[in-house]
Amino acid sequence: MRSNAGGIAATAVALFLGILVVTQFRSQDVYSRNLQLETPASLTTLIANLSDRNNSLRDEIFELRLRVVAARDSVASGQGSLAESQHEIDQLRIFAAVSSAHGPGIAVKIDGTFDDRAMSDLTNELRNAGAEAISVNDVRVGPRSWYAPGPERSVLLDGRQVNGPWIVRAIGASDVMHVAITRTGGIQGQFELIYPKTRFTVTKESTIEVPAVAARR
Amino acid sequence: MRASATGRDPRRQRLNHAFALLIPAALFGFLVTAQWQGQQDRSSIAVRYNAPLTDAAFALQKEQNDLKAQLQDLRAQLDRIQSSAASQSGAASELERRLAELKAQAGLSAATGDGVMVQLDDSHTIPAGTTNLDQAICHSTDLSDILNTAWRGGAQAISVNAQRVVSSTSVYCVGSTIMVNGTLLSPPFNIAVIGPQNAVLGAFDDPSQLRDIKARRDVHGLGFRVTRANAINVPPYDGALTVRIAIPQ
Repeated sequence: MRSNAGGIAATAVALFLGILVVTQFRSQDVYSRNLQLETPASLTTLIANLSDRNNSLRDEIFELRLRVVAARDSVASGQGSLAESQHEIDQLRIFAAVSSAHGPGIAVKIDGTFDDRAMSDLTNELRNAGAEAISVNDVRVGPRSWYAPGPERSVLLDGRQVNGPWIVRAIGASDVMHVAITRTGGIQGQFELIYPKTRFTVTKESTIEVPAVAARR
Repeated sequence: MRASATGRDPRRQRLNHAFALLIPAALFGFLVTAQWQGQQDRSSIAVRYNAPLTDAAFALQKEQNDLKAQLQDLRAQLDRIQSSAASQSGAASELERRLAELKAQAGLSAATGDGVMVQLDDSHTIPAGTTNLDQAICHSTDLSDILNTAWRGGAQAISVNAQRVVSSTSVYCVGSTIMVNGTLLSPPFNIAVIGPQNAVLGAFDDPSQLRDIKARRDVHGLGFRVTRANAINVPPYDGALTVRIAIPQ
């Protein structure tokens, strides 16, 4: 009897321990991110985003292959690779925001209450939609740009005060950027809920001009 | 041998039997609980399309890694050709110098220097079933706020889990998955910041900065740590340049 009771008690304790081990393990693991836990809608968005990025990479690889061949031929014929270097410099001047730029795009007019964090979110959304050059009013957003709250409900962009109403201009594929901002459930809709009295107007523009980034102070 | 085994103390034998039961019982308890919880998980997430969609996402990410490697290789080839051309003429040499300067400004060159390391991670201390899980995990906006604070502190180069932050970088959130430069990333997020250490640390220590993240760290166990670090390596940007429409003036 005694030995049976001891065995049963030991078994019960062991079962309990087993359950505890799994529960503890699961409680740690519940925070791990897993694509399997995403909804099909989220996964579809994610796939579309990955596909877009991969297409951009493929386009650039194709273009770069041609440029490598052209540069080789050019050097072999004694002409150097001046044309290739100049092309790359033009691209990099825009990418680094050290040159002013123009081209088609969109303009987002914000009239009313807004803040630095929302401006940062809008910039992020435009970048994700493929914006190539962005400005807020007439201040260029550069690779190291930062936002902060300014005096009297203004926004500081790289320490420069930009007052409302704000016009955020972005050069890039205007159709893509327009859809990205105005789609149902998109950032414009979210802003309209958070800032109900603020008016947001998004327009496609055939030509936009943005200045170069200001020298860092 | 057999004779001596059968002649053991009966109390010791009972103890041996009890221990012999212990391991299978613990294993059984482990299996039953795991199975039961697994059923619970599956019932909530068993969506017909998830498996193929997840496979497709992973396949695209793998393809992206391969494409980035090809792109890096082609950029290196073009660099070598331009270097060789630079030795042929003074004009080419001047262009090469200008290119190197612009690449550094744009984030297309690797950078090394002193700075700070910031780590952002989901909480690992709150038990399952908590109602405010949202507060205990990191979001894309947290990463954006950290980058903003680092730039404000005077950062010169930043990477997030080896993704260089450049002018086209977006921190994008789909469901609970975070993408930086269109690349899938998982926590912990290690943010390498090269810049003046005291100024960058000062920006992170400023009580008016990152209030939400600091409160969630203190209350919900969100992982957020900023440490001084020397000789940090920040890799070059390896994505597409995406300058196709804008024209320089």
